[in-house]
Amino acid sequence: MIELRVNDVWKNFGGLQVLKGVTFQVNGPELIGLIGPNGAGKTTLTNILDGVIKPSSGTVYLNGRRIDTLPPYGVARAGLGRTFQVTRAFRRMTVMENLLVPAMAKHTTARQKDFEEKAMEVLRFLTMEHLRNEYARALSGGQQKLLELGRLLMLDPDIIILDEPFAGVHPRLMEIIYRYITEINAQGKAFIIISHDMDTIFTLSKRLLVLDYGDLIADGDPAVVREDPRVKQAYLGEEEEEPEWEGVGSKE
Amino acid sequence: MSKTAIAWAVGLAAALLLLAGPAVYGDKPYIMHLFITAFFYAILASSWSLLAGYGGQFSFGHMAFMAIGGYTSGLIGKFIRFTTAPSQLCNDFKLPGSEWWLVVLKPREVGTIQDTCLDLAKQSTLPAGTFIVTPPIWASILMGVIMGAVFGLLIGALVLRLRSTYLALFTIGFSEILRAAISAEIPITEGQSGLELLPLFPKGVSFFGQQFSSTSKIPPYYVMLLLLIFAILLMTWLAGSRFGLFVRALREDEEAAAALGVNTVRYKVLIFVITSTLAAAAGAVQAHYIGIITPNILIILQMSLVIAMAVIGGLENIYAAAIGAIIIQFMLELLRTSFTVGPVTVDMTVWRLVFFGALLMVTLRFQRNGLLAPLIQRFMRGDVAKEVVAIRERQAEEDLAYAAADAAARAGGPINPAGETPGEGAP
Repeated sequence: MIELRVNDVWKNFGGLQVLKGVTFQVNGPELIGLIGPNGAGKTTLTNILDGVIKPSSGTVYLNGRRIDTLPPYGVARAGLGRTFQVTRAFRRMTVMENLLVPAMAKHTTARQKDFEEKAMEVLRFLTMEHLRNEYARALSGGQQKLLELGRLLMLDPDIIILDEPFAGVHPRLMEIIYRYITEINAQGKAFIIISHDMDTIFTLSKRLLVLDYGDLIADGDPAVVREDPRVKQAYLGEEEEEPEWEGVGSKE
Repeated sequence: MSKTAIAWAVGLAAALLLLAGPAVYGDKPYIMHLFITAFFYAILASSWSLLAGYGGQFSFGHMAFMAIGGYTSGLIGKFIRFTTAPSQLCNDFKLPGSEWWLVVLKPREVGTIQDTCLDLAKQSTLPAGTFIVTPPIWASILMGVIMGAVFGLLIGALVLRLRSTYLALFTIGFSEILRAAISAEIPITEGQSGLELLPLFPKGVSFFGQQFSSTSKIPPYYVMLLLLIFAILLMTWLAGSRFGLFVRALREDEEAAAALGVNTVRYKVLIFVITSTLAAAAGAVQAHYIGIITPNILIILQMSLVIAMAVIGGLENIYAAAIGAIIIQFMLELLRTSFTVGPVTVDMTVWRLVFFGALLMVTLRFQRNGLLAPLIQRFMRGDVAKEVVAIRERQAEEDLAYAAADAAARAGGPINPAGETPGEGAP
């Protein structure tokens, strides 16, 4: 059973309070959207969950194990994987090598051959098997994004954090990413998806977290969160006006 | 026959040719010297290419590790002795569980040619019949190698958070500090006069039934060549292992590698330790071969030479860097020959460096992957390139068909050629 517990996490950079006592839990293979205006603290929260930065106070537990004291590689091996806002493929390595890195890192005594077949399965899932021997730098931006998702499948974490997975991608690629999230989620992995694409995030996620200036101001069903006055205020500055996601759900 | 098998066959043939080489040029000391020096630089350039090309750690301290290997070995030869009785005039340490003593000689005062403390002890405090043994050369070389690894560990740990320019400046600083310290500590290192070392085989050596004197160049030729072959095989294995995979991932993006479970600290330190150890081994052997080591080996020009060899050969390929080093070492010698054109005499002993510098600049400007690495790359990955071009063309056609079908569907037209309605299912 997947369980992530974020307990009263605070973070300040000098005098700037970026996170103010964020608390939430992920129980089981949830599909969670994390939204908030620019500067809300989404990336800082992600970096704390990932182990890149340490919280000023508060704790994070994954499946009963404290992870906020672990280095990033320890967090990854413990079962939390992430992508970055700007795609970060290993550009001068082949697609296959990109996929082997997380598998080999997690399984410290394994050989590369042990994971080549799994890597091919992942590539087939991402419709990229023909590019296995190509350098990542030769891939299109969208393909590099898929490659990042493929690396997470090789890492096989319990919780996957995707930072802006839909930003600037071709509609065709969006379909693949959408399918990736829903199918992998159905296989029992939890997702936390950060996105500014409100249409997609409201359609896709089953639960929504909203950060505003370091406060977690809403946590619940997207339909309910959408109507929350504090959320409207955070996005528009005025409670009365129509929020920018009006009309969301028209795709359904 | 696979391309990898062909590459191994070519490597094996080259190694065999070099092993058999002395049968042809073994009686030409100058050629032999060129080869030994070329092998020495090949170890340095290829190990630096592992550090900088594979690992992305642009260290300018590689020659410092080489010097640490050479000086450690030399200092052990100069200061360490084993005796069966305490000298009482030097620093004596009883070896536990044996009758032997480790004697550390005291440095002599600058400008004197006085006897060492052990020489004085022989005349006074040491009983007659005391055995005095100098550590064997292989042991002092081994200590040099270990010292290289220790300093590699130290520097690797210190530069963990440093990247690019800062790493370069730090390692230049380390190298300069070492040079200054060696120059200053004249009683220990002999400063600019240089530290003399025993030959690799002080009493000569015999193999295959043939006796070689201590000054013969054939034994050092084989020692350095075998060290080069060992270094290349070790680095080949490392590059193809999880180590190679992870250090290249580190080079590309340290944060992303860590987020995927790579212990970045361990591999950053490890690559420093491994490459420093190889540099120290080369340095120790070369110092014994030459018979003297001076702090001038640490000047930035020497480090630049190694970098230039790796860059011109191909930075991200250890074989290209090694071959580049050998070719450039020979070119530098061949270009020594001055010539006269009409009234102008070109002194090539000076101008060859200009030529060499220009070659480096041209390489960096037009062929950043070096001159040899792209040839190796082309041979090994030519079919991948063709395959990818074909895939690209096919994908472009598919994208066009998809876009047309998408437009048609939006206009209420027919479904796309693949039989799927855009927006549903996998493309």
